[in-house]
Amino acid sequence: MKSEFVFIALPACALIAPSAFAVQYLTVEQAQRAIFPGKTFTAAPVKLTSVQRKAIEQASGVRVLHDEQQVWRVSGGGWFIVDEVVGKHEYITYAAGLAADGSVKQIEIMDYRETYGGQIRDQKWRAQFVGKTSKSTLKLDSDIKNISGATLSCRHITDGVKRLLAFYEIAIKH
Amino acid sequence: MKSRSSIEIRRCRPLLGTFVDIACKGSPSDIGCAFAAIGKVHRLMSFHDPTSDVARMNRNAARRSVKVHPWTWDVLKCAQEFSRKSDGVFDITMARQLVKWDYLPRPNKRFCGDGSWRDIILDDKYVVRFRRPLVVDLGGIAKGYAVDRAVEALKDNGITAGIVNAGGDLRIFGSVSHLVHVRHPAEPARVAVAVRLRERAMATSGIYFRRRKFGGKHVGPLLDGRTSQSGRELISVSVAAAECMVADALTKIVFTLREKAADLLAQYGADALLLERDGAPSWIFDSLCDTRVPTRFA
Repeated sequence: MKSEFVFIALPACALIAPSAFAVQYLTVEQAQRAIFPGKTFTAAPVKLTSVQRKAIEQASGVRVLHDEQQVWRVSGGGWFIVDEVVGKHEYITYAAGLAADGSVKQIEIMDYRETYGGQIRDQKWRAQFVGKTSKSTLKLDSDIKNISGATLSCRHITDGVKRLLAFYEIAIKH
Repeated sequence: MKSRSSIEIRRCRPLLGTFVDIACKGSPSDIGCAFAAIGKVHRLMSFHDPTSDVARMNRNAARRSVKVHPWTWDVLKCAQEFSRKSDGVFDITMARQLVKWDYLPRPNKRFCGDGSWRDIILDDKYVVRFRRPLVVDLGGIAKGYAVDRAVEALKDNGITAGIVNAGGDLRIFGSVSHLVHVRHPAEPARVAVAVRLRERAMATSGIYFRRRKFGGKHVGPLLDGRTSQSGRELISVSVAAAECMVADALTKIVFTLREKAADLLAQYGADALLLERDGAPSWIFDSLCDTRVPTRFA
């Protein structure tokens, strides 16, 4: 088996210019089809009261960043939720499919973005991604498709799912 | 082989404690099979899940034989081979040190302070015994194995080309080459170099995301099994090999042994790239050329 193990030196600007590694995996519709193939979806967004918000934080041990949660009711039972989490390096939108009994059916990452620098917690930086990335003014490294490196933990997603399960119990189960 | 429309699809799910990204020309159900294989490795080899093979071994194997799944067996066999060949640099029982440093939760009450890979007995097929209480973690090798199983699942479904990337441990198969960027070891949100790979697996190890203080000293989750000491340097090691499990295990050995691992790399037909703290490649081993002369930079 022949391999090509050729190193390519990167232009210096790639190391200096603020840019971001980003992959858009799925749109909302694609994520719905991926988790619940053949089903129909009815939007049922939830706005949390401050009491609910506190209850979710207490039950899950995870902070609630947004009062509004994008939720869809799935035909034949179940829920489809779009959520986002912010880590030290990453900003991730993901979809969670819950079965009719509230158990996790499937998680799909929809958008994964990683910054080259410290912008991640900056509201303005994050606002650039509202309504998709293609026309974004931020310089995206579109030629970076695969990254190898020490493992980046998915703890924020794990915490996010914990929060969504508490959200389900408190805000949509009844 | 089934005929399919060739749409490139790419999916990502949180598994194995990281992000698993799979891309191929095929259907969503093909990718579903590959994720299922990764999920199976996750369930069998998770340190945290009390029902996994690893947790059952850690609880019981010092007292009685524990039967494990053939996949867990494969990984244990391979881990022992690397321990033998690296003279104990690679050692899955170093998990006890990771427990001490709070990287891993305490698995049992009778927590033991010594022992090594030599105390793991794998004589009868699928049956594991420990000579003394041990804490085993397959975190240094199972991700690579999971990638290999996912690639196998894709190939079994008739997929001819694709890429599986489990949080930086990846494998590319098929006739197309791909560019893989390697993180900068001191500034991991940046990339330091790019490598072009075809029909090859690559894994990278470094401590940059997980370094922490313990007793006033920095420690990291990569240890030298001979001394129980952790590497503290902000370097990264990438290894390319035919199989991702092999690449994964070899990064840990090269992290400790650096150039001294050259013979072992050659044995496995593997290549290595070591990035220093400043992101510059300090050492490149190319098994195909069988030489330590660096570069071939494009």
